[in-house]
Amino acid sequence: MKQLAKISGSLLLLVFLLAAIFPFLVMLSVSLQDMNQIYTPGLSLIPRPPRPEVYRIALSHGNWPRYLANSFYVAGMATAISLIINAMTGYAFARIRFPLRRLLFVLILAGMMIPAQVTLVPLFILIRHFPLAGGNNLLGQGGTGLVDTYTGLILPYIAGSFGVFMCRQFYVLFPKELDEAAKIDGCSRFRAFWLIYLPLSKPVLGALAVLKFTGAWNEYTWPLVMTNTGADRITTVQLALTAFRNEGEIFWNQLMAATLVSTAVILVVFLSMQRAFVQGLLVGSVKE
Amino acid sequence: MKRRPAGSQPALRRRGKGIGLTADARAAYLLILPFFTFFLIFVLYPLLTNFTTSLTNENLATRTFIGLANYRRLLTDRSFVRSVVNTFVYAIFSVGPLMLFGFVAALLVDGSGRVQSAGRAVMIFPHVLSMVSVSMIWLYLFDPGSGLLNKLLASFGLPGSDWLFDEKLALPCLILVNVWKSSGYVMMIDLAALQSVPPSLHEAARVDGAGYLSRVFHITLPAIRPVSYFLLATLSIECFKTFEQVRIMTNGGPVDATTTITHQIYMRAFADFKMGYASAMSVVLFLIVLTITIVNLRAGGQLESDRHEAGT
Repeated sequence: MKQLAKISGSLLLLVFLLAAIFPFLVMLSVSLQDMNQIYTPGLSLIPRPPRPEVYRIALSHGNWPRYLANSFYVAGMATAISLIINAMTGYAFARIRFPLRRLLFVLILAGMMIPAQVTLVPLFILIRHFPLAGGNNLLGQGGTGLVDTYTGLILPYIAGSFGVFMCRQFYVLFPKELDEAAKIDGCSRFRAFWLIYLPLSKPVLGALAVLKFTGAWNEYTWPLVMTNTGADRITTVQLALTAFRNEGEIFWNQLMAATLVSTAVILVVFLSMQRAFVQGLLVGSVKE
Repeated sequence: MKRRPAGSQPALRRRGKGIGLTADARAAYLLILPFFTFFLIFVLYPLLTNFTTSLTNENLATRTFIGLANYRRLLTDRSFVRSVVNTFVYAIFSVGPLMLFGFVAALLVDGSGRVQSAGRAVMIFPHVLSMVSVSMIWLYLFDPGSGLLNKLLASFGLPGSDWLFDEKLALPCLILVNVWKSSGYVMMIDLAALQSVPPSLHEAARVDGAGYLSRVFHITLPAIRPVSYFLLATLSIECFKTFEQVRIMTNGGPVDATTTITHQIYMRAFADFKMGYASAMSVVLFLIVLTITIVNLRAGGQLESDRHEAGT
């Protein structure tokens, strides 16, 4: 009886794992097949013959080095700026008492609950009518504002308040004596943050960095409305992927090859920082 | 909610030069200034203008106040009404299976063995990927001509299907992809909750002769109850926001069978440039999400007071 339960548990786990992994195997397989094999009816998952050149062809479709560079730049900038300003803000809320602190923190919590989709349209109008940018005058008229610029792409990513919450929850656990000792040594708040707190922030900043980077890398909706179609200047990887679908005939092998390249980056980040990633996911789910 | 009386920390109350703020308060305001600048301009301000724009006919060229006309139009807009129905169907039929599969997966990978830890990594991976990549993979699997699902069915001698091109099947297909992608997330959250149960509890139950299933029902399930409220709200809100998958896999079709609220917002705003009308839709979406959040906070609070009454 016990044996039976163990075996059925293992079998169920196997089913779950297969269900999770099978679509990836299909992606890998199709990315190496030629179109003849894909059009042939009948199940054949092994590429015969394997066509590694599909990757070269897929990545020369448009300007893939540029798309990859764009995604790295946008996700990297969003991550770097977020980390600094979120840590500063989280530290202030956790360690310093100041007027309106409670009210401002409630605003931050409320901000976490506002879906980006709700502000998509007004945000676009704001970016397009941004004063003195992209040929706009002081009233935001006449030009295209920050549409189709890196700045327009990055700005909304760094305004999210989740990271502040995360940092605040981390810094609030530090012992009070730390601040008192710093004070006695004549350390200002800025120096205390820079010299004491920041060097101890590796766990929270690691988790936040992974979340921010993958979030910005994976984002599709905002680049979709921000990017002037036709110009490759700020096109990101996710947007470039959809170009394979927009033509009459879909070259599945090329599409799967490009998809695999774009996910490989995330796979590397995920595997190298798995612990940090899982920690980031759990923030907010467990009440303290 | 303790509030200290003013001046309870005399050591920190050094007066600033003339501004009337302590040195500490000034430092704090400087530290939070950069973030709040972005937050005010790119989150709170758009939220506010969303309401004002919804009362106009803004189309990026002109803007006239038209009162509640946009909202009145929503009620007779067939595509929008369809999108609200679709979104509710999508959310209801996603959340149940997600919670179930996530929970079962968490039970299966709970443990310190190698298989379990590898299993965790494998099952969380779909959640890590972009919805674009996931949509692309499943677009191939579902393709009626050369896709894998129909080839698989054919190899068993079964007839294929049109999947995403079938008016009845398209929405269930999208739900399937959503459940496949996000179950790993639910697994991670449940796993953390059930690992916080002290092992001695399981040990004691086992000594008392409780079987595996009985321990799941009496120890594990109560342990994940608090996070279940969190998951219920988070997952529902995620479902109400769904856009990328719809845009890429079906673009709302066939004939509005899979259009969602956010897809309608996108189409009206960025295909028709009816920004005012799209803003009215955004307000509706906002109110739905707000309702879910408030109901969840209430339920969570209820839970907390239950626990106090039980005296634990």
